[in-house]
This record gives sequence, C-alpha cells and structure tokens, in this order.
Amino acid sequence: MHKNLMYICLMYSNELIKGTLKTIVLSLLAKKGRMYGYEITQHVKEETDGKIQLTEGALYPLLHRLEAEGLLDTEKENIGKRVRKYYRLTDTGNDQATSLAAEFHEFSQTMNRLLNNFSLKPSYNV
Amino acid sequence: MSELNEQQVALISAYIKQHGIAQNELHDDLLDHVCTSIERQMDEGKSFEAAFEQTIKLFGPGGLKQVQQQTFELLTEMNENMKKVAFSFGLTSTILLLAGTIFKLMHWPGSAVLIVLGAGSLAFVYLPLLLWHKLKESPRDESMMHISGFVGLTLTTIGVLFKIMHWPGAAITLLSGMAILAALYVPLFYFKKYKSSANKSITLSTGLVAMTCLILVFGLMSVNRSTNFNRGILLVGAELEDSVDKAANNEALYSKLEGNRNAVALKSTVNKSSAILESFRLELISETEGISKEDAKNAKVYLLNGQDNFDIPTHILFGGEGEFSANTLITSLESFQTEILQVYEPEIRSEMASILPFDFSETYTFRNEQMDWANYHLRHIPLSGVLSQLSKMQLDIRNAETQALLYLLSQSAVSESPSGDQGASEAQSL
Repeated sequence: MHKNLMYICLMYSNELIKGTLKTIVLSLLAKKGRMYGYEITQHVKEETDGKIQLTEGALYPLLHRLEAEGLLDTEKENIGKRVRKYYRLTDTGNDQATSLAAEFHEFSQTMNRLLNNFSLKPSYNV
Repeated sequence: MSELNEQQVALISAYIKQHGIAQNELHDDLLDHVCTSIERQMDEGKSFEAAFEQTIKLFGPGGLKQVQQQTFELLTEMNENMKKVAFSFGLTSTILLLAGTIFKLMHWPGSAVLIVLGAGSLAFVYLPLLLWHKLKESPRDESMMHISGFVGLTLTTIGVLFKIMHWPGAAITLLSGMAILAALYVPLFYFKKYKSSANKSITLSTGLVAMTCLILVFGLMSVNRSTNFNRGILLVGAELEDSVDKAANNEALYSKLEGNRNAVALKSTVNKSSAILESFRLELISETEGISKEDAKNAKVYLLNGQDNFDIPTHILFGGEGEFSANTLITSLESFQTEILQVYEPEIRSEMASILPFDFSETYTFRNEQMDWANYHLRHIPLSGVLSQLSKMQLDIRNAETQALLYLLSQSAVSESPSGDQGASEAQSL
C-alpha cells in the first residue's frame, strides 16, 4: 500500500505509470539536455497539466538507478550552501531514450487499434 | 526570487540526515530538492515554516527514509544476479573449506583439493565480488577502508592456504595480509563507526579489542619454532645418515669370507632390506616435496620445504595397504630378522633373537594413549622425523650385519685352524 502511494499521479492508475517512468525521464532529458531533480518534477507536472506528478520517492531512486546503469551522468554545481546535481544522458542513455520512445509510440498505437476494435472508445489519442 | 540562508539550509540538511538518509548522493539530491521547493513556495508568499511543512508532506507516509529504501531496492534489484553469484560462491567456498578441514583432521584423502578449491574461490571470486559490491553501495570516502579490507583478507586467505598446503611463501603472505588488516582496515572501520556511534566509549573499546586480537595473532604467528631447536633435530638425522654410510662399508669383511654360503645369504638379505628402506625414503621425500625420485635421491633434508609436514608422510604410511604402507615396512623388517638368524648356528639363535633391533610386538604409551609400534614411531611424525627413523633402521640393519659378519669370521677362523686345535689337544695329552 505504501509503495503505491510512492507513485502519486492524479489521473492515471499506478500500473500504467510505473512502466513509463523511465521513458518519461529519459525523453525529457533528451529534449532538455541537463536538468536537476526538482526541475524534472515541475516540468512533468506542467507539461501534463498536472495529470502526471512524479514524487520524490519515485524520481530519485530511478535517477540513481539510471546513473548506476550508466544511462545518466551527473554534474554538480554549488548553489549557495548546497550542491545541485544536474542529470544528463550519456550516449547509451540517448540511445535508450530514442528506442524507449519509439517503443512506446508503437505500443500506444497498437493499444489504440486494439481498443478501437473492441469498440471501446478511447478518451484520448496519442 | 527567494534564497534560503545558510542557517535554513543547515536546518534542512540536519533534518534529512536525522531521518535516516545515510547516502551522501541522495542527501545532496534531496537537500536541493527540498530547498528549491521551499524557495518557490516562498516566492508565492508562503513563510519558510509553512513551505517546509508542505514540502515534507509531499514525501508521503513513508517519509524521507522510504526514498532511500526505494533507491536501495532499485539499485540492489539491478545487482540481484550478481548477488546470487556472490552468495553461491561464498557458500560453496565455506562448505569446501569446512569439508576440507574435516577431511584433513580425519586424514582422509582429498582434503588438499577441497581446501585449495575453497580458499581459491574465496580469495579470487567471492572477495572481489564483495569488494565490487561494497564500493558500489557505500560512499566514496569509505573506499579506502573496503580496499584495505579486501587486500588484507585476500592475502590472509592465500597465506593460510599456503600454510596448510606447506607451500613456500606462506609466512610472508599471511603476515602482510594480517598487517594490512591490523594497520589499515580495523582502524579505518572503527574510526568510521566511532564518528557515527551513539556510545563512543563502547565503540572505542571494541575497536581496541579487535586491534589487540589481530596484533596478538600476528605476534604469535611470527614467534616461529626456534631455529636452534630445529637445527638440533635435523643434525641428528644428518649424523645418522653419515653413520649408515660408514657402517655400510663392509666390503673388507666380506672379502675375507669369500665362498662362505652364509655370508652370501647375509649380504643379499641386508641389501634387500636396505633397498626397501631407501625406497621408502625416496617415496616420502618425492611425495611430500612434489619432486621426482631422482631429485629426491640428492635432496638434503634440511633444505626441504616440507620437513615439518606430517600429513603426507602419515597419509602414505597409513593411508592404505600399498607398497609404502607401515605394514609393508614392518613385514620386510620382520623377514630381515628371520633371515639374519639363519646365519647363526641353531644353538645360539634364540640368544641372538633377543638382541635383534626390532620388536614390533611391543606397545608404547604416548600422552596417556596406548599405541603399537607403527603408530608410535611413524604416525603424525613430521617428514624429517620419519626420515631420521628410517636412517636409524638402516643403521640397525648395518649393525646386525656387522655382528653377523664378525660371528661368521670367528666361525671360519675356528674351522680354518684345525692344526691349532690339534696342537692344543696334543699338549693336553702330553
């Protein structure tokens, strides 16, 4: 139960968002170059009109894991008395971002077609 | 745009640490996140306190600690396979080492293979995996500690392995491994613990106890067996060998007994037994040292690495009923004694039998334990000791031979001077 609360998102079910978290973060970084954690949460919130909100509990563990996997690099900058860590894609990370985005596009198209065939009207199109 | 002052940042940092965030990287991330969030909310007119409370609330019911837990889980999930491999190697090497130790204590064959495999996989697979894992999971300022622990433990393991296997270089490897553990790893480990511990005096004292234990073992290890004592034992062996060589110079006596059937029989039985003892000697040296029998022939006992090894000699002599078992040795020495008695006239054989060197029916007591001849003289005796025993047996054989030769010579002197005898009887009759 606690775990579910970690991925708070306002609109979509937990199962749906969980698998796409990595795609979201990697694609965002591919577009913006380098970002720090808070910036990522705010950006996702704004871009999705608040429909997807990344929580700290979901974001930072993911960032650390992606860094450990070698998909992300970090740069540190001193902001007053604290350190700000910027995350950016490595070359491998870039490849992953591209392939994940492509995979997701295809997946959502397939889902769309499938749901259309079932005569269930999707409420949105991708 | 608001910016938090030094004090506020310090307060938030303390809060994060207090809530169990031990990882430096995560702490930095969260500190910046919380600070930025508070600054944005203050831009919108909130007070520091309200913004702080609001931000912390967003972390959910598990709070900050759960972020770390989640991070840890995600990171370890990635290493799950690695962990399984490490775990199975750790378990395997422990089982191998345990089994090897039991086999060794029971003197069953195969202990060496088990111990080498166990220690090898511990030192070259498990410990490197452990180091890799530790370096990955802990902050960078601890890497010195983990590396020194790894190097120290690896060297110690290899040193113990070499020591058990009686391979050269054991002492120096073992000592340097323990020195690294005592001088680097333990101080670094306890220094780190000391910094973060609640009860500093307890940590300090356990740290000192750990250091003292290591240094004690270290000290005991370097107190090697006295070299003078060692030399004394080896000298006895060498002198025995010299005596054997001298006693074997019987050619002059044999030449005086040319054509004597008993002398021919004596020579052949002595040579046969002497050759058997020599073959035991060569087998023991070549097996213990791992050298060829040709090299074993010229080997000097005091130069042998395995001079204090008793596992291999005991295994050879008591491991089965082979060509070089203790029972084979006894059988051949017994037949030597039977054969040499044939040299003497039947009337005096029983008297001569009582002064023959070997009595295998005797029982011996050592450390309150009753044992037979073989166990008392040969079991768990280091190579140098066993070799000295073999030399002593050679010498015994040679002494018995000389006795028999002198007897034969006196006999032939009696039979060759019948005129003298006659003269005596003539003198008597006169």
